Amino acid sequence: MSVKAFELVPAVERDLLMGDKARINIQCIECCGKHLYVGTNDCFIHHFLLDEVTSSKGKLSYSPQKLLHKYLGLKKPVAELRAASALERLIVLCDGIVFLVDMVTLETVPSAAGGGAKIRGVTAFCVNENPVNGDPFCVEIGVLSSKRRTVQIYMVYEDRVQLVKEVTTPEQPCALSVDGYFLCLALTTQYMILNYKTGASQDLFPYNSEERRPIVKRIGREEFLLAAPGGLGMFANAEGASQRAPVNWSESVLGATVCFPYVVALDESFITIHSMLDQQLKQTLSFRDGHILQDFEGKVILASTKAVYVLVPLPLERQIQDLLANHRVEEALILTEGAQRNIPKDKFQILHKRILQQAGFIQFGQLQFPEAKEHFKKGQLDVRELISLYPLLLPASSTFTRCHPPLHEFADLNHLAHGDQDKVLRCKKFLISYLGEVRSTEVANGCREDVDTALLKLYAEQDHESLLDLLASDNACLLADSVPWLEKYHKYFALGLLYHYNGQDSAALQLWTRVVDGDLQDSTRSDLYEYIVDFLCTCSNLDHVWKYADWALRKDPTIGVHIFIKRPVSTDQSELKPDDVVTYLGKHSQALLLYLEHLVLEKRIQKEKFHTHLAVLYLERVLSLLSESPTDEEQLARARERLQALLRESNLYRVQFLLGKMDKYEQLLLERATLHGKLEEHDKALHILVHKLRDFPSAEAYCIWSSSCRDSAYRQQLFHMLLGVYLDGNLSGKSQTAAGGGSGDLEMAAVDLLNRHGEAFDAVRVLRMLPDGWSLQLLRPFLGRAVRASMHTCRTSQIALGLAHSENLQLLHDRLKVQKKPIFVSEKKGCHLCHNTFTEPDVVCLPGGVPVHTRCVAQRVRDSPTKRQLTNSSKHT
Amino acid sequence: MPELSKMKKPDVKVVLLGDMNVGKTSLLHRYTERKFKDTISTVGGAFFLKQWGPYNISIWDTAGREQFHGLGSMYCRGAAAVILTYDVTNWQSLAEIEERFLSLTDTANHDCIYAVVGNKADLTDPKAQMYQDSDVSKDQTECGEARTEPQVLSACPTPPASPASLSGMILHKQVTHEDAVALYGRILRYKGLDEKDSLPAEKMCFETSAKTGYNVDTLFETLFDLVLPSILRKRNENQRSPTVDLEEFRGGSGKRARSTCC
Ligand SMILES: Nc1nc2c(ncn2[C@@H]2O[C@H](COP(=O)(O)OP(=O)(O)O)[C@@H](O)[C@H]2O)c(=O)[nH]1
Ligand SMILES: [Mg+2]
Repeated sequence: MSVKAFELVPAVERDLLMGDKARINIQCIECCGKHLYVGTNDCFIHHFLLDEVTSSKGKLSYSPQKLLHKYLGLKKPVAELRAASALERLIVLCDGIVFLVDMVTLETVPSAAGGGAKIRGVTAFCVNENPVNGDPFCVEIGVLSSKRRTVQIYMVYEDRVQLVKEVTTPEQPCALSVDGYFLCLALTTQYMILNYKTGASQDLFPYNSEERRPIVKRIGREEFLLAAPGGLGMFANAEGASQRAPVNWSESVLGATVCFPYVVALDESFITIHSMLDQQLKQTLSFRDGHILQDFEGKVILASTKAVYVLVPLPLERQIQDLLANHRVEEALILTEGAQRNIPKDKFQILHKRILQQAGFIQFGQLQFPEAKEHFKKGQLDVRELISLYPLLLPASSTFTRCHPPLHEFADLNHLAHGDQDKVLRCKKFLISYLGEVRSTEVANGCREDVDTALLKLYAEQDHESLLDLLASDNACLLADSVPWLEKYHKYFALGLLYHYNGQDSAALQLWTRVVDGDLQDSTRSDLYEYIVDFLCTCSNLDHVWKYADWALRKDPTIGVHIFIKRPVSTDQSELKPDDVVTYLGKHSQALLLYLEHLVLEKRIQKEKFHTHLAVLYLERVLSLLSESPTDEEQLARARERLQALLRESNLYRVQFLLGKMDKYEQLLLERATLHGKLEEHDKALHILVHKLRDFPSAEAYCIWSSSCRDSAYRQQLFHMLLGVYLDGNLSGKSQTAAGGGSGDLEMAAVDLLNRHGEAFDAVRVLRMLPDGWSLQLLRPFLGRAVRASMHTCRTSQIALGLAHSENLQLLHDRLKVQKKPIFVSEKKGCHLCHNTFTEPDVVCLPGGVPVHTRCVAQRVRDSPTKRQLTNSSKHT
Repeated sequence: MPELSKMKKPDVKVVLLGDMNVGKTSLLHRYTERKFKDTISTVGGAFFLKQWGPYNISIWDTAGREQFHGLGSMYCRGAAAVILTYDVTNWQSLAEIEERFLSLTDTANHDCIYAVVGNKADLTDPKAQMYQDSDVSKDQTECGEARTEPQVLSACPTPPASPASLSGMILHKQVTHEDAVALYGRILRYKGLDEKDSLPAEKMCFETSAKTGYNVDTLFETLFDLVLPSILRKRNENQRSPTVDLEEFRGGSGKRARSTCC
C-alpha cells in the first residue's frame, strides 16, 4: 500500500454552489476544459470556470469562478449533463427528456424546423467517444428508454437529434457505454456486448443489476470496465474476453474510471486506487458522501452531494521516487515500465535507466546481488558509480564524480554495511564478479582503466585467483595506482606481470629474483624460479638474459641452462650466438656440458669446435671418475658410454687430439679402438679389440660399424682383416697362451665369425686362409652357406645366359624377315620418330620394317636404356 | 511480475479451472516463481504472461469460489488450452469439474485442448513427495519438512520400507488415474469430439504437486508445445484480417449512404 498516486483537491465548495440551502444536492457534473457544469436536484445548471493555481511550493489548487446558473424549468433533478463542445451544446437529461442547452447561455435550444431536438422517455444515455461516423459536427449518443427493451442510437446536431439505429435487447438495459459499433450494456441479470451494426451479441457474465448498481465504463478502444459480482472490477473487450486481471473493489462501488495505470473507484466512504499493472491496491483516500466519479479528458472529478473535487495525479516520477524511497523496487519498475506509452520515447529511456539504476542500488544495499546486477546491467549503470562506493578503489587519477541527484543514499560501503565486515566482504565479492562480467562490455567503454584497476585491487585484496589472469591478458590497470596496492598484499609475482605488461621487464625480473632469493615473501608460485628461467628464455632483451642468466645458473645450472637451450628459434637480433653462449658458460661447467650436448646431440650443429669440446668434456669426466678411488663403476660406465657414443657417431671432432689425450690410459682401450677406426687404422683398432680387450663381439661390431656407410667390398675387407687377426693370433699365441686357453678362444671366435657372417666373406679366400687341421663339421654352417651361395650365383648366370641367347635368336629372325622385303622410302613418307620427310636414301629400319632417320635413331639410342636391341636390328638400305 | 507491465499482447491463452483449494494458484506459482508458498484465495482471477520462444502465452488463474463462477466463461473465451484441475485427495473436486466447470469452456476455441490435472499428488504418492525441483535451493518455503526429508532419504541407498515412514502422512487417494482418464473421455464426448482424432488421455491426464514441483513443468510445457499450432493459426488470421476490415468498411459506408438519403 501507500503509494501516493493522487491528491484530492477541492474544486467547487459548498458555499459557492448552494450556500446554506440544505436540501440542494449535486446530481451530475460535466467538465470541458476549464468549464465545469454542475446539475442539481432542483433543476439548475451551474457553470463555473476552474482555474488551476500552483503555489510557490508547487502545490496545486483551484480557484473556481461562478459564471452562470440557470433553472431549466422542469422541477426535476438534472440527471445527466454531457458537453458537445464542437456544437457548443450541453446534452441534458432531465425528467426523462434529453434536450440541448447552449453551453454559454445555458438557454434551451429550440427545435429546428426540420426535426425535434428532444428525446423522451429516456432513462440513461451515453456519448460515443469513438464514433464510427467521422462528422465532427454531430455527436453520437446511445439512449436507453424506460419502456422498451431497446437501445437507440441518435445523432445529435446543433439544433436537432436524429434516430439512426434501434436495437432490441433480451432484457431491460439499465446502463450502457458505446465504443465504435459496440454497445456494452448492463441488463437486468447480466452484462453483454452488442454490435449495433451487425446485431451480433456476446454475453459477458451474470450480474444482478437490481441488487447492485452496475458500472459500465469505457476505458479505451473497445475495452470496458465493469462491476462484477463479489466487488470485482472486471475488464472486458469488445470480443467478450478479459485481457487484464480484475481488481478487487468493495461490494458497494458507485463509480469507477481508469487513470492510467490506475483504476480509481468510489464507494460510500473511500476512493480506492488499484494498479492495473499488478492488481494491487495502492492508495485509499477517505471521501464521505461521494456519489459521482467521472473522468473528463483524463481529469478525474468527484463530487459529494455538496462539493466538487479534482483527483490530481502526482507526477509519475514523484510516485516512482516515493516507491523507491520505500524500497518498493518491483512496484516502482512496474509503474515506470507501465508508463512507457505515456511518455516520449527518449524521455522514457532516460527515466527508465535511472529508475533501474536506483532499483539496483536499493537491492544492492539489501545484498540482493543477482537482482541488483540485472538492474545495473539493464540500466547501463556507469560502473564507476558502483566502484566509487568502495573506498580507494577508483584510481587517484580518475575524473569520475557521482551523478546528481545521487542514485542512492550510501556514502560508502562501510556506511552501507554499518561496519558489518561480513557484508562488506559479500559486497566486494559481488563487485568482483560484476566487474569481471562487464569489463569487456561496452559498459566499460571510456573507463576501462578505472574498472581494471579497481578489479586488480579487489583481486589482490581478496587473494583472488583471477588476479593473474587479469594481468596476463589484455588489461588497462594503471601501474602507478596498482604498485603500492600489490606490494601491500605481497603480490610480487603479479606486480612483476604488471611491470612486464607495461614493458618494464627489468623491474619485473628484479622483483621476482628477490622473491626467489627470499628477500620478499610471495607464495603465488612455488616454481617462480622455473618461471623466471622460462621468462628469460623468451625474453627478447638480451641484456636481461645476460644479466640474470648468471643468477639462474648459480641457482640451478641444469634448469638455468634452459635459458639458452629452450630459447625459441628466431631470426632477429634476439638470437643468441652459440659461441657467445659457450664462452659465457665457461664458468658453469655443468651448464656448459648440457649446452654443448644440446648443440651437438639435439641440434646437430656440425661444427668441429663444439664436437671436440664436448668430446673433451666427456673424456675429462671419465678421467676424473677414473681418478677417484674407489671408482663408482656405475657412473663410470655411463660416462664412458656417452663418450663412446659421441666418438662413434660424430665425424667432426679432432681425433688425433683426443687420441693424444687418452694415450696414457690403458682403461680406455675401447675408446682408442674407436678413434683408430675413425682414422681408418683398422689393424690397430682390431688389434686392441682382439688382443688387448679380447672383446670379440665388440670387434665384430666394430667391423659392421666401420663399414656401415661403405660398400660390401670394404666390409669384406674388414671382416677378412678380423679373421686374419684371429687366425694370426691363433698361430702365434698357440705356444704362449696354451695354458690360459686363449688361443682356443681366438679359434672359436674365428669359427663364430665365419658361421655368423659367412656372407661377408670371400669363401675361396677364407678356405685358403684356414688352418688345415680344422674340421669340416666346425665350419659346416659357413661352408653350407658358401656352397649354396655359389650355386645360386652359378644358376642365376646360367639363366641370364639362356635368356640372352633366345633374345638374340629372336632378333636374328626379325632381321631375316626384314631383309626379305624391300623398304620404301620416299620424300612423301615421314620418319616415325621425328615425323619429318626423308631427304636422303640413308635410313635405319626399326623392327617391323619401319624406316626412320639415322640421326633420330641415334638420338633414341642415346636416350634409351635398351641400346643393344636397336643397334642390333639396324640395317642400311 | 514485470512481464505483465510490458503489456505485450498475448498470442494465446491458457486457463486454469477447478474448484477452490485444489491448488490452481499454487500450480501457477510453482511454475512461474519456482516455489510453493502460502496463497490467499484468488479473487476474481489473475494472469501471468509467459514468454515461450517467440510467443507470449497468457496463463489465467481463475477463482474457484462459487461467487466468481459467472466470470469463468469470459476467462475461457478464446482459450487455446484449459487445465481442469482437481485434488487427488478429494473426490468431490473431480466431480465439480464435470458439474460446474466443463460448461464454462463452451466459449473456448473450437480446437481448444483439455488437460485433466490431479494436484497434491505429494499427499498420496511417495514419488511425487520425494521429487526435488531443480532450482529448489533458492527458495525458502514454509513447509520445511517436505524439503529436508527427501534429502535425507536420497542419501540412503534403499527406498524406505513403507511409505508411512515418509514425511507427512500418506492420505487416501480418492481419485485414481483411471478416474481421470474416464473423465477425459467424457469431456471429449461432451465436446462432441472423436477419441480417435483427439489427444490421447494418457498424454492429457497429469498428476502434479505444486508443493514439490512434481510434473508441474511437464504439464505446462506439454501444453505450450501443443498450443503452438493454435498460435500460428491465430497469427495467420491476424495477417488476413485487413481484408476483413475492408469488407466491413465497405458495407458500413454503403449503409451510411442509405441513411443519409432518407
Ligand atoms: N500438499 C499440497 N498442498 C497443496 C498443493 N497445492 C496447493 N496446496 C494447498 O492447497 C491450498 C489451496 O491452494 P490454492 O493454490 O490457493 O488453490 P486454488 O484455490 O485452486 O487456487 C493451499 O493451502 C495450498 O497450500 C500441493 O500440490 N500439495
Ligand atoms: Mg487460487
